[in-house]
Amino acid sequence: MVRWSVDHPRWVMVLVGLATLGLLLAGSLPSLFPKAVPWLPGIRVDTDPENMLSEREAVRVFHHDMKEAFAMHDMVVLGVVNDVHPEGVFNPASLRRIYDLAVFSETLVWPDARDPSRQAGVIAVDLIAPNTVDSIEPGGPGEVRFSWLMAEPPATDEEALAIRAKAQRIPFLNGTLVSEDGKALCLYLPLTSKDQSYKVYAKLRERIAGLEGDERYHITGLPVAEDTFGVEMFVQMAISAPLAMLIIFLLLWWFFRKPVLITAPMILAVVAVILTMGLLIVTGQTIHIMSSMIPIFIMPMSVLDSVHILSLFFDRYHASHDRRRTVLEVMDTLFMAMLYTSLTTIAGFASLATTPIPPVQVFGLFCALGVAMAWVLTMTFIPAFVVLLPERLLENFGARAGSSADQEAQDSRLSRLLVATGRLTYRRARLILALSVAVLAVAIYGISRIQVNDNPVKWFTRSHPIRVADRVLNEHFGGTYMAHLVLATPAEARTARAAWEAFQTRLRAEAGPGAAKAVTALEAAAAGLLESTPSAEAFFAALNERASELAGAAADDDLEAWDAVIEAIDREALRGETFKQPAVLAYMEGLQKHLLQQGRVGKVNSLADIVKTVHRELFEGAEERFAIPATPEAVGQCLITYQNSHRPQDLGHFVTPDYQTTSLWLQLRSGDNVDMAAVVEAVDAYIAATPPPVRLRHDWFGLTYINVVWQEKMVWGMLGSFLGSFLVVFLMMTILFRSALWGILSMVPLTITIAFLYGALGLVGKDYDMPVAVLSALALGLAVDFAIHFLEHTRMMRERHGTWSAAAGPVFGEPARAIMRNVVVIAVGFLPLLAAPLVPYKTVGVFLAAIMAFSGIATLLILPALVTVFESRLFPSAAPGVRPGKCVTCLVSAVVVALTVVVNMYQVADLRWTTWMWVAAGIVLVMAGLCRFASRRAPCSLPGRGVPGAPAAP
Amino acid sequence: MPTTRLLRNAMIVSLVAVLNGLAQEAVPTLDEIVTRTNLAAYYQGRDGRAQVQMTITDAQGRTRERQMTILRRDDRPEGTDETYCGGQRMYVYFTRPADVNKMAFMVWKHLDRDDDRWLYLPGLDLVKRIAASDKRTSFVGSDFFYEDVSGRRIDDDQHELLGTTETHFKLKHTPKDAAAVEFSYYTMEVDRKNYIPSRIEFFDRNGTLYRVYEALEVTEVQGFPTVMKARMSDLRSGGNTVNTYSDVAYDLDIPESIFTERYLRAAPRRYLR
Repeated sequence: MVRWSVDHPRWVMVLVGLATLGLLLAGSLPSLFPKAVPWLPGIRVDTDPENMLSEREAVRVFHHDMKEAFAMHDMVVLGVVNDVHPEGVFNPASLRRIYDLAVFSETLVWPDARDPSRQAGVIAVDLIAPNTVDSIEPGGPGEVRFSWLMAEPPATDEEALAIRAKAQRIPFLNGTLVSEDGKALCLYLPLTSKDQSYKVYAKLRERIAGLEGDERYHITGLPVAEDTFGVEMFVQMAISAPLAMLIIFLLLWWFFRKPVLITAPMILAVVAVILTMGLLIVTGQTIHIMSSMIPIFIMPMSVLDSVHILSLFFDRYHASHDRRRTVLEVMDTLFMAMLYTSLTTIAGFASLATTPIPPVQVFGLFCALGVAMAWVLTMTFIPAFVVLLPERLLENFGARAGSSADQEAQDSRLSRLLVATGRLTYRRARLILALSVAVLAVAIYGISRIQVNDNPVKWFTRSHPIRVADRVLNEHFGGTYMAHLVLATPAEARTARAAWEAFQTRLRAEAGPGAAKAVTALEAAAAGLLESTPSAEAFFAALNERASELAGAAADDDLEAWDAVIEAIDREALRGETFKQPAVLAYMEGLQKHLLQQGRVGKVNSLADIVKTVHRELFEGAEERFAIPATPEAVGQCLITYQNSHRPQDLGHFVTPDYQTTSLWLQLRSGDNVDMAAVVEAVDAYIAATPPPVRLRHDWFGLTYINVVWQEKMVWGMLGSFLGSFLVVFLMMTILFRSALWGILSMVPLTITIAFLYGALGLVGKDYDMPVAVLSALALGLAVDFAIHFLEHTRMMRERHGTWSAAAGPVFGEPARAIMRNVVVIAVGFLPLLAAPLVPYKTVGVFLAAIMAFSGIATLLILPALVTVFESRLFPSAAPGVRPGKCVTCLVSAVVVALTVVVNMYQVADLRWTTWMWVAAGIVLVMAGLCRFASRRAPCSLPGRGVPGAPAAP
Repeated sequence: MPTTRLLRNAMIVSLVAVLNGLAQEAVPTLDEIVTRTNLAAYYQGRDGRAQVQMTITDAQGRTRERQMTILRRDDRPEGTDETYCGGQRMYVYFTRPADVNKMAFMVWKHLDRDDDRWLYLPGLDLVKRIAASDKRTSFVGSDFFYEDVSGRRIDDDQHELLGTTETHFKLKHTPKDAAAVEFSYYTMEVDRKNYIPSRIEFFDRNGTLYRVYEALEVTEVQGFPTVMKARMSDLRSGGNTVNTYSDVAYDLDIPESIFTERYLRAAPRRYLR
């Protein structure tokens, strides 16, 4: 490949150019001119955290079913606060503006971009605003009154306060529409779909900007947070990626001082990014929060190898002045090290593909692909580039003595430090190891304290309007994070047969003694219906119909009896309407009270509250009547009274028409997953300790809950990915060094690094969130590079110098300097992420920089210390090429292979551990056999190899 | 020649128009149309009774049933003829679903002031007067408004004849007090034969159609054209309500005393069957 590239440099350039241009066009054309290339998918942005779960995931399916069943929509929350007026927003001027805003928000409707025949935007009928909700209150004596809470903006202060007083009397509005402190108001704008929220948000902000007055407006709600995130994600990509380029460029310039030399890796980085992103878009993947970070990951990593090549090339070039030969020589020298460092990185990324979270899989696979392509480009494009460089430019490089002096001066402080480090590791080896063990112990304690938590609103920086809105509104209101607890009658509890058997015990008594004949006729009819109608509801409906037919054909004398029978059937059907039963509503009441005591739930809205409110107002607003009436008939009549309002459809948000499923609408003050999870636990505990009066199953929906589910999946998925990549990398190291012992050795620094960083995370109290989780797996693939370089040089130098004490000096020369340079390039290369306005990117930036820095330092401290202590074991005095540990290595490798397969497969396939144990055992045996066979064939001799990982410094 | 053809066409059109005019009675005035429509829709006979099967269907196709008997009596003083369109009394007796069985609803409709409304809730043993700020609230959770059931006062709107087709008059009604209602105007297609509104469309403040009434079945009962099936669709929610009427009868001589609070608790069974 390399040779072909050197021989056909122009072809390489043309091919790379064509591929780049092709993918660039394929990726961008559909978005720029959608009609020209309908067969290409174009750029699709996806910021929906819901998509962290596959669409077929049970919790998402349930979420969507329930949203439809209860006609719920995602909402934009618009809060209005007035800190200047003593009564807050409850004054005529503020309410006039709020009224106008509410009327304005009803007009935020436009044709749907996907289907122009449909409307998209705000669903006006479900808008919750003072002028669109009903107030129910006692009128005169014996009178109940329904009216709009605020039909028109009030003219006087008294009217304004009266509106507040009315709203605060209604549980559904208090803490939701009106703040508990009576100072603020919230409007809830339901959307036809979540992706409309940014447009609605932008239009609202535009309108608000033109408003006068002391009110402050806050817009929040999960859909807004998510959609806004998507928009800012592009800002991030537009800022951070070029900034990363610039910084890498400056860094390389500072190292090498030669712009032409730097051009090649820069072009390579850009090409690698374009190829990867192009492929991502062309294959129809969406730009998700994860995949938007791909460019910034690929960029620093793709330059590393080419920098090694170029620096070595120009070191050697002036000796021979033969470009072709020098390039081939350099490539030969560096091949193994570059291959393995690339492979470990790829393994790190690729292991993410085993995480059960689609966007993370896409991210992992395309990063792996990007690194692979960068490697191919390094093998082809860089040599071709060098061969094509005009002779004149290379001549200039001949005069590198001057710059070399610069280099020396620049490096001298670093060199002295490194040499000192080398001496320290030799003399104080045991102390360093003891310290490492101590660090590890502290780290493990820290890891045990890690708190898994995430919250999409916290993806914005503290000062972001969405974060501010979140803070202010959650201070005033019951909470802006919605979760829905569903209670439902299990289908198996409502079979026709069970219902009929129960009914038969009552039927004769209820229908009365005169109806004996009719009852007998009915029983005969029922037997036939039981087969065709499996559910109780359908059975009673059919039975009713049949009874009416029989009544129609009956003699006049029997009519009254049939009336009684039909009435009995109706009553029996009513008994089956779970959420009209007073005992069930009382149970919900108890559950609500319990949840409010926990502190995390600010407010619960439920069917029980509606019934109680109507009941109270029917009885002149007497507080003691704020209770659930005694019979299901009375409950039903309260509910039908409620439906005589302007918004009868509101009932449908709380209970399905068959009264078999209800939804409790919880308002949480925090969207943190830990808080949601605690509420889920509290509900489970309550239901376990206090069984409901009838059989009920419970489940959750709502975005806040979905976030908890995907995160839990991600934590375990990432742990699996981490284990997977750990094993793969370990296996690679064992193969690279042909020794399990050396394999283990190479894993030590990065293991301590990762343990240390995650331990620090736990000790500091920073949440283990999505970006942190993703980093664990891939950091490993990156951090092992230093160990590879260090150990390769250690072995090489030890062979050359005979003892480690003699070899340590040279190892801490050029090679250590190269490692430190790499550390700086990667660490600094990720720092532009700090400029992002979004927290996850910042986290990634800081964390990666920290991982690189720590693992670099750990490599230079711990590895030499270990080599010092275990020199005799690592370098057995046997004849060169003969490794006594061969069998152990074989066995270890086999076990690792088996474990790798199992760990990775376990994530993908849903089988039980015991099954995998047997699979693993089988693989171990097979692999051990294979390994033994292989060892015999090439008994105890290593194939001759070039010296990998030669010094990288120019 | 195009001009001659045009001329010929024009002649044919006017001839047809003249013939049509001769065939039917003289074209009524706008006021006449509005009044006769109001009478046909709400004032057939002196009193009347109907069984109503109400099916409320939501956007997901789930249905709820209500079953009720409606009694109506016009407050028609002696000496007034069938053009009376003043006060009325209405009694609605529910039988299904089981939880609202025996529930009753009564209205005294007045032209000069707000209607009186009562609700009897047997489960709570309670008779309540209902004071609603406006009449455009849901009727027992259906897509029909209370005002659709009792009838909108014709004085509340400005009327306009948009056009006349072979079968229908098309009217437009604009509310005089726009703030009191949620629509900006509504149009009505009235059957020229019997003045039964066959289709009513409501438009919101943005001029978007959002609510549609359709008379699905009209027959004559005792000589009175009567809607036997009607549907109200809410285009915003995606739901609709179908009312199916049966056992319709007029001029039953229902006594005025039935329409009093006393009979809310003790249903006048004789008139309900």
